[in-house]
Amino acid sequence: MIALGRLKSWEGLLLAILVVVVAMNVMRSPYYLGIDNVVNLFQLSIEKIIVALTMTMIIVSGEIDLSVASIMGLAAVLLGCLFKAGIPMPAAILIALLSGLAAGLFNGFWVAQAGLPSLAVTLAGLIGYRGLARVFIQDHSIGGFPAWFDTIGQQRTVGPLTISIMIFFILFVIVAVTLHGSGLGRLVYAIGNNTQAARYAGVRVKLIKLCLFGASGLVAALAGILYGARLGSVRGDIATGFELDIITMVLLGGVSIFGGSGNIIGVGLSILVILNLRNGMGLANITGDTQTSVVGALLILSVLVPNLMHTLKTKWKERKT
Amino acid sequence: MDRQRDVRPIFAAEDPVRTSPESGDAVPILEMRNIGKSFDATQALDDVSLALYPGEIHALLGENGAGKSTLIKIITGVHQPDRGEIVFAGQVVAIHNAAEAQRLGIAAIYQEPLLFPDLNVAENIFINHQDRGQVVGWGRMFREAEALLAELGVALDVRRLARGLTLAAQQTVEIAKAISLKVRVLILDEPTASLSAHEVEQLFKLVLGLRSQGVAVLFVSHRIEEVFQIADKVTVFRDGRRISTRPRSETSSQRSITEMVGRETGLLQPRPPVPQGELLLSVRGLSRAGVFEDVNFDLHRGEVLGFGGLIGAGRTDVGLALFGIEPATAGTIILNGKRAAINSPREGMRLGIAYASEDRRQLGLSLPMSISANISLPVLVRYLNRVGLVRTSLEKATAETFRKRLAIRTPSVDLAVAKLSGGNQQKVMLSKWLNTRPSVMILDEPTRGIDVGAKAEVHNMICELAAEGVGIILISSDLPEVLAMSDRVLVMREGRQTAILNRNEANQESVMRAAMGQTSDRPAEGAST
Amino acid sequence: MNWLQRRVRPEQIRELSLLLLIILAVTIFGSLIPYYYTSRTFDRIAESVTIIGIVGIGQTLVVLTRNIDLSVGSIVGCTAYFIGALIAGNNGINPLAAILLAIAMGAVMGAINGVLVAWARVPSIIVTLGTLAIYRGMLVDLSGARTVTSDSLPGWLLNLARVNLLTIGMVRIGALFTIALSMVVIFQIGTTYLRAGRCIYAIGSNPDAALLIGLPFRRLVFLVFVISGALSGLAGFVMLARFGNITVEAGRGLELEVVAAVVVGGVNIFGGSGSVVGATLGAVMLGILEQSLLRLQISEFWRDALLGLLILLAVASDAVILQRLRTLWGRAELKVAPGMPPPVPETEKGVTNP
Repeated sequence: MIALGRLKSWEGLLLAILVVVVAMNVMRSPYYLGIDNVVNLFQLSIEKIIVALTMTMIIVSGEIDLSVASIMGLAAVLLGCLFKAGIPMPAAILIALLSGLAAGLFNGFWVAQAGLPSLAVTLAGLIGYRGLARVFIQDHSIGGFPAWFDTIGQQRTVGPLTISIMIFFILFVIVAVTLHGSGLGRLVYAIGNNTQAARYAGVRVKLIKLCLFGASGLVAALAGILYGARLGSVRGDIATGFELDIITMVLLGGVSIFGGSGNIIGVGLSILVILNLRNGMGLANITGDTQTSVVGALLILSVLVPNLMHTLKTKWKERKT
Repeated sequence: MDRQRDVRPIFAAEDPVRTSPESGDAVPILEMRNIGKSFDATQALDDVSLALYPGEIHALLGENGAGKSTLIKIITGVHQPDRGEIVFAGQVVAIHNAAEAQRLGIAAIYQEPLLFPDLNVAENIFINHQDRGQVVGWGRMFREAEALLAELGVALDVRRLARGLTLAAQQTVEIAKAISLKVRVLILDEPTASLSAHEVEQLFKLVLGLRSQGVAVLFVSHRIEEVFQIADKVTVFRDGRRISTRPRSETSSQRSITEMVGRETGLLQPRPPVPQGELLLSVRGLSRAGVFEDVNFDLHRGEVLGFGGLIGAGRTDVGLALFGIEPATAGTIILNGKRAAINSPREGMRLGIAYASEDRRQLGLSLPMSISANISLPVLVRYLNRVGLVRTSLEKATAETFRKRLAIRTPSVDLAVAKLSGGNQQKVMLSKWLNTRPSVMILDEPTRGIDVGAKAEVHNMICELAAEGVGIILISSDLPEVLAMSDRVLVMREGRQTAILNRNEANQESVMRAAMGQTSDRPAEGAST
Repeated sequence: MNWLQRRVRPEQIRELSLLLLIILAVTIFGSLIPYYYTSRTFDRIAESVTIIGIVGIGQTLVVLTRNIDLSVGSIVGCTAYFIGALIAGNNGINPLAAILLAIAMGAVMGAINGVLVAWARVPSIIVTLGTLAIYRGMLVDLSGARTVTSDSLPGWLLNLARVNLLTIGMVRIGALFTIALSMVVIFQIGTTYLRAGRCIYAIGSNPDAALLIGLPFRRLVFLVFVISGALSGLAGFVMLARFGNITVEAGRGLELEVVAAVVVGGVNIFGGSGSVVGATLGAVMLGILEQSLLRLQISEFWRDALLGLLILLAVASDAVILQRLRTLWGRAELKVAPGMPPPVPETEKGVTNP
């Protein structure tokens, strides 16, 4: 898209960082690039990176969805409660997916139709959907799912790849084609660039935003279910705080928080960077909370660094003349 | 030759206050010497010198991109010059930011006033007073604000929030702000572009008052007739250079235009009348609750129907209703013999209606996107293949066609629209709507804020369109333009339709009369303070 | 109507109606719950309002500038823990010094936010999401996952929560509550009468204009984040005094309650309007709801779900009601042509709604 020139340098930077991180990890563990470890690398955060794909489209359209992790939790919890209540798993899965879709559409209604700021709406959702999950499951933990369900999350099915990884790659291709080649993608960029102008050009802004939030909720629910399958059990606080990683993956990928720019290749690269970083930190025995604070720092840097580069460039130009 | 607004002359031929600046002050209050400024590869200003004298109104004319706004930004401290120096009251100064400009006594009023909607009027006036101490004395602030406004002869409640003030009232507040800061150099950047004739008169009265107090006024405008009403000196910029500075008596609007453009151009020639086609659009009793009421007109193929009236009369709202952005709440629209309910822009487009907004930057274009992407946006469906992917080569071909047709000056159609000049941006927006192949084209202020050359090209396009059988609704505050282009003129006032004038009936006077609702020798009623 | 227009802004009407709602809620709950009007109820409510209220003041200032501070929970946790550990290690420490240290620590953490938002121009949602994680990680790392226990703390600290400064009927006003109340008063006065306070409103109302006019934009944005951090530090100290036992989980999720209180209290999420008093009323409303629902035996797990719903309702109703009120306020000023309802001002062009 436009500004590809500038983005090329951002992706170049990401690639360089990726190479450095991988190199450091390989030095620590000789088996690092083996197929087993690579699959494991993806598995550890597969649910987050799936959600990052739909989050990309939401942020490009100029909005944000802070409630994705809570929808993940809600869907997982709902699945567990329905299962415990004796409902057959396929039906429970379907209902959990629909709940995510409903939550996403609910968000989308307030943002697209009522015109409220997505920050506030999804912040309310972050609190509310998590609360709803707690109402259902309270203090308990539910597990003991049928074996085939646990398999979905963990077993290698197609060669060395799990079903989750397959889902990620399929979704990646879908989002890539949609965002960069399709008419819908063009409209999403137009909406992110200038919503009013898009409206005046006859673009169905409300409908598109509603669909984007619905998709975000649906995919979050899917990710939540996959997460529950992988863990083998669900609790009220499942997937808490995931939104940080997810948003970081998108923003670090060069997608502007203000909407209207960014591409999926950058997001793909930043996903790889974060996956390898977390894996590397795990290898170095760095605790979860510390890992999270590193991701937090990355989030800030992903916006700080381009800002600084831009300011330096302008200052340098002014000095030249 | 010049078409004047039909407004009472602001000053009589022998105005005792007017003194020739040459005979009195020899010392300019602000002098720009050999200013040079470039951005990337563009030389925005090249060896520009300008002197502003106290008690003098100095007009600055020039096409878009001539360097006027760059100069203003340098004076107000937003930019620093690469070369040259600024001399204020005899001292060489460097103005690094707005606060320093303010301390010197330089104030600027822009087309869009910079007020704070959630603060009240008094606060807005005094918000930037550095020397008032840290504690706000509300009582004193209200009293002083009221005194200030009384001095200007304006009645406005200083306790009310700035939100909801009319544009003219906002500019009054801005002027009060400037006065309170003991302004010595006042810059007016296109202040009249969105004002009605009466409001312009009020503004000019205030400005003349400031002049008599010794303030130096720099007045930038595209409205040449207004400039020649009020200016003492006229400077013309072209391509970043100062072409001339003359006292008003030694120049004319024609001469200035020639200098601005660098070639001879005639003023508006009336559009040759074309035979009227069949009935295209019929509107009866169209209303939108609280906005406009009972609008009735017919539009034929090949006809240009001008919409005249003051700002706020509701003309844009009628356009928005016909296009479906702010649908009508009552009345009938009959298009090609069939009743139509237009509730969204998509429905409007499907029926063959197109609406080119008056605000091209905020509403008409997606600035970071390319020219071809902008042009294809409303009808993107046409450019999708079976799977839903965009056929970029087809898109580009369409963009090239329009580039030639409208003479859009750009190195490539892949360039982001943001990088184009105002006139070329306008052409891209018009291309976008032409691309929807409309049968009814609503143009809202199509030549606002674009240079004379582009304006002529847009007028040509309108003539061509009409010749092809498109029905055109031309909403414009540029009365000469409306009168030259239109077959008939529909005039609105405060949401109501007051007249539809034929070609032979329509002239400055009759349109103004209908727009203001009374004869021209009585002061306008119901106008804002 | 004119008198009303001159004295009262639409936002103040919002706060008045919130006050009425509070009175209504108390009345309703009082009729449903036995022994509602007791000092115990007041104490409980005051407890939660104190901490949320103090942090809410800082958050109000931040939101007024069209920003948000999500790191307050982590700052409260950090200060509560580290100052607690400090006092536990030096029981003889001067109480005033301890309070000032807590405030200073919070201020420094807030300053980091402030620098990134004001000068590096990183959006505050990004900065504070990041520092939320960074500060919490710092807390977990440096603390070694230990706990500050109340028996390691000196008597004066623990008694602070129980000291009664004033008793009016059954309302017991303690030291901590007084600290909170005085902060509210100080900052309400500050935002109304200090020029810096008014500039804060201006920044949120029209940031572009504020920059162009030359208001001390960056300095003030930096300042509000420092204040937010400092007040969070103070709240951390209050938390320490109140609970004594502080784990590394302290303050987790607090930011969400604070934002809820601020939004319910009528502070516009876009900035420029609302007040410290309003936010405090919002905290009071939330405190009352929480306590009363608890007493009604409604499961505590409903609290978050309700909180989310309340934020949504508050933001939605603000958008709708305030917009109507504003148009009404604006309309009264326009001249009305005879026989015609006043036109919707095409005037909003100049004074733009963010």
